[in-house]
Amino acid sequence: MSAPVVVLAPEIILVVVAATIYVAGAFARSRDVWVWLALGGFLSAAVAMVMLSVGAVGGPISVDGMAIYVRWLALGLGALLLLTSSRPSGQGSTPEYVGSLLLTVAGVMLAAASRELVLLFMGLELVSIPTYILLYLGRRDAASQEAATKYFFLSILASAMLLYGFSFLYGATGSTHLAVIGQRLASPEAGSLWLARAAMVLVLAGLGFKIAAVPFHFYAPDVYQGTTHANAALLSVVPKLAGFVALVRVVDVALEGARDDAWPIVLILAVATMTVGNAMALWQQNLRRLLAYSSIAHAGYMLIALAVSMATGFGTTTAWEGMAALWLYLLVYAVATVGTFAALSCLGRGAESVQSVEELTGLPWTGGRVRPVLAWTIGLFMFSLAGIPPLAGFWGKLAVFASALSVEGPVEGIRGWFIVLAVVGVLNAAVAAAYYLRIIGVMFFRRPLGVPRVREGTGGALAVAIFSAVLAVAIGLGPGIWFRDARRAAIIEAEAPRPLPMAAGGVQTADAGLRPGGEVGQGVGFGSGL
Amino acid sequence: MTDPLRILLLGALAVPAIGAAVGPGRREWIRAAALVTTCVTLALVTVLVICFPGGARELAVTDVPWFGAAGGIDIRFSVGLDGLSVWLVGLTALLMVVAVLVSWEAIQEQASAYYRLLLLLETGMLGVFAARDIILFYVFFEFTLIPLFFLIGIWGSEQRRYAAVKFFLFTLAGSVLTFLSLVAIVVLNYEATGVLTFSIPRITASLAAHPIPEAAQLAIFLGLFAGFAIKVPLFPLHTWLPLAHVQAPTAGSVILAGVLLKVGTYGFVRFSLPLLPEATAICMPWLLWLSVAGIIYGALVALAQQDIKRLIAYSSVSHLGFCMLGVFALNRLGMQGGVLQMINHGLSTGGLFAMVGMLYERYHTRKIRDLGGLAHRTPVLAFFFVLFTLSSIGLPGLNGFAGEFLLLIGMFQRGWAEAGGRWAPHYQVISVLALTGVVLGAWYMLWLVQRVFFGPLREPGHHEDKGSQPEQAVRDLAAREVIALALPSVFIFWIGIHPAFFLNKMDATLSGITDRGMAAVDARGMAGQEEFPQQAPRRSIVGESGGEAGLPLQTTGWMDPSGAAFAAAGGHGHFGRVWPEAPSDRPTFLATTRTDP
Repeated sequence: MSAPVVVLAPEIILVVVAATIYVAGAFARSRDVWVWLALGGFLSAAVAMVMLSVGAVGGPISVDGMAIYVRWLALGLGALLLLTSSRPSGQGSTPEYVGSLLLTVAGVMLAAASRELVLLFMGLELVSIPTYILLYLGRRDAASQEAATKYFFLSILASAMLLYGFSFLYGATGSTHLAVIGQRLASPEAGSLWLARAAMVLVLAGLGFKIAAVPFHFYAPDVYQGTTHANAALLSVVPKLAGFVALVRVVDVALEGARDDAWPIVLILAVATMTVGNAMALWQQNLRRLLAYSSIAHAGYMLIALAVSMATGFGTTTAWEGMAALWLYLLVYAVATVGTFAALSCLGRGAESVQSVEELTGLPWTGGRVRPVLAWTIGLFMFSLAGIPPLAGFWGKLAVFASALSVEGPVEGIRGWFIVLAVVGVLNAAVAAAYYLRIIGVMFFRRPLGVPRVREGTGGALAVAIFSAVLAVAIGLGPGIWFRDARRAAIIEAEAPRPLPMAAGGVQTADAGLRPGGEVGQGVGFGSGL
Repeated sequence: MTDPLRILLLGALAVPAIGAAVGPGRREWIRAAALVTTCVTLALVTVLVICFPGGARELAVTDVPWFGAAGGIDIRFSVGLDGLSVWLVGLTALLMVVAVLVSWEAIQEQASAYYRLLLLLETGMLGVFAARDIILFYVFFEFTLIPLFFLIGIWGSEQRRYAAVKFFLFTLAGSVLTFLSLVAIVVLNYEATGVLTFSIPRITASLAAHPIPEAAQLAIFLGLFAGFAIKVPLFPLHTWLPLAHVQAPTAGSVILAGVLLKVGTYGFVRFSLPLLPEATAICMPWLLWLSVAGIIYGALVALAQQDIKRLIAYSSVSHLGFCMLGVFALNRLGMQGGVLQMINHGLSTGGLFAMVGMLYERYHTRKIRDLGGLAHRTPVLAFFFVLFTLSSIGLPGLNGFAGEFLLLIGMFQRGWAEAGGRWAPHYQVISVLALTGVVLGAWYMLWLVQRVFFGPLREPGHHEDKGSQPEQAVRDLAAREVIALALPSVFIFWIGIHPAFFLNKMDATLSGITDRGMAAVDARGMAGQEEFPQQAPRRSIVGESGGEAGLPLQTTGWMDPSGAAFAAAGGHGHFGRVWPEAPSDRPTFLATTRTDP
């Protein structure tokens, strides 16, 4: 087995476990077995990650700081999502559900590690396609089917746009390797950048769907509402993770030449996304719909960080790096969001989980052991999402807004734009607090009234909720190591190989191998060893 | 910096947090535990206050990296006390004991959650005042919102839900802009010096050498203003205050009025003045106008109130206007008066809110017209109410007078004795209007006392909702309640009789803060002087050393900041070595009381 493939061992383990579960699931339909097996899969993938902490490999695969960070994050979130969803309503479909979840996580990890268009697209599709199945498996009613269908059609449309954009890139540069693309676009012979700009717009649109940025967000509220809490948790973190990693790889790093056109677009997207998300969330009565708009709004804050890293130029080190802010924000957002959905999925009446905000009325005062705990954890997540210190969400906001304020771009007047962006951002944070507080107010400030029960078999989700709450407080009180990790995630391997003659090279696909420090490998590609 | 006292400060911060972690139990146990916790904290803080030597040096400094080397960002867990924060820390610890004592019987439901939140709030408030790191300050600043939000929303009166949400959102909307401004200060300091530091003392020092450009200062000032002015609250931004104060449980009102409003003024004194002196100088007239508008407006609205708690809430608007007026007079006397008034307001208004709670527990009403002549029924309560009222309206001999007098002198000095450029007439009008506010303050408070405690006895006819014997006469204060009120009373007398003890210890810190603002104001005043050449040059009525100056009626300064100079006695004031320069031919209001040694 050659080196690049070994690097992908965690992904391979996940896919193998998933395949095993798919096949064997036909014969043994006990739920617990597959959940435990999947957890084992995550664990062995984690072990593989630790053992294979290699440096750069070159070729289409990269294990730079960002890849490592995102892969760990995906593994951790995958385990949490698995426990959250350990009780899908259709008892019979557990193996399919668990298998699809594993594949989704493998897809995110693959996308994080790839620096080649085809592999990247594969990773993204490995996220999308199992997600369709998960959405169908979630619930068995008309609304759920509608949600799945809606997501399916819009998702393939987004994939098509993304692919179209990729083809432009290939047409402009003759390569599918991101480093080569970036380097050829930057070279003087590149000529007109119009193809690259068109590609940038298409890629932004395609990935905008994944992260639920505003003009591409319409599916989110309907789909979240139509599906289960566990699926909503998955939709609010996993595609975002994949989408942002792809955005960073393609738009921020490879399309460096089109950067001056890209950051204003991202900036506008950021403003629109957070403003629309927060404003719409104010009026929602359905919990998942509200949280869908909240997750849209949070994508807006993350786009601020992305715009910062685009505007400052890749590789510059300011006091606050937009890229590090992005990864820190994604982490704290994911912890609070998954925790919220996990806590909500514990509550319900019979088979039906809680739907509307009103159903949580008086939750902490209802007695019992579990319900007050759930209420306090939900309250904690709401404060964290609102960015109130000393909870995790505050540090995400600090990093994002501080990075926006420290922008010193090459363009005159660029700073003013980012100050405006930061002001819009913090005001949005204050608006957002209104609907988070509404949930808390409904829970804590009213007398109990037809309180939902704790559903059976939700021990895993309860554990996830408590774990996430502890994590949100721990990150809040000791943010140092998380900042450190996020800064490491901002290390992106982007060195292009030695300039290749455009004419002579012709169509050179992913065969320009790389070593750390930009040293040129010797044509290491898919098949060849290092 | 191995200051043994730092253990005490860390202890004071940690004890309430540990107390909050004590497990649930019966109400009696929980409240006893809370009382012990707050008393221990008060004891620790008392030692700190007594040990505070005065001078500009900080006490009990703990400065360790919070993020560790790992974070790459030097945000530190840095706490300490200086001549400004030590008093506010003391006030917080004192009022928390009061808060627990007034909650003793009032809180029946969910007592465990209640006292935990109260103790968490104490840690948060102590942290705000003790923080020496910008981010740490903001963390505590915002954190105080969470427990208070729950305290108002769960244990408040009828409109508590609306009040809690409005309070939280109003404060948050302002403080996010404050947050951005604080970060902007750090970033600009980093760009000017190349050092990324969050330490407040270090930034203060380095910004003195590398001032922020004026335009940026203004923008940052407005951002800070958004948060702090809402917290204070300054006049047009005060609308959350009456609602939150009235709806909060008694302890919540005590804490809110007594401590949390001071976070706003503290923020101005700690950040706006020393870090943004030019912007402060530019905004000073506007802020003074807003302050005096708040003084008059709050007093007039208080006059019209039918509800005792609302009346006292509006009196807070008026009194905080005085604090801001003193602070933004931007001279030593004004600043000392403003800061002293912060403490005074905490003591007197905190006590008044506590007593409104006691009245409510007895009569289940807060309406003024339902009550009358209570001095016959509850003489001890009436005694304390009159005492706190007199303190609040500034009776000489009690604390309110010391603060109000100093800050008004400061304001008059700003108006007449110092170069005001074209703003001088404004300052003069503001000074006079502020004096009117004092009169109005006496009016609404004394009228309240008269209606509620004197005249024929009038009580709400029946209180069956108590459920016990029909002929259960309303009892006067219990020992617990007397203690709760006696604690602040001690300081009401102490500050009133010997303010120098407090002023001496805060003087060095405060002059360090005012000096830059004064210099900036003078720079602008001088610039304006080209238009107004007849303006007298600025003279100090505070001499550099007053020890040798003859004091006509007494041997030691009554209010004697750093032994310097300001003594007032029986209408025969003498201001140390008053006029270093030759007195101008233009008489000032102070010149009439001047006697040459």
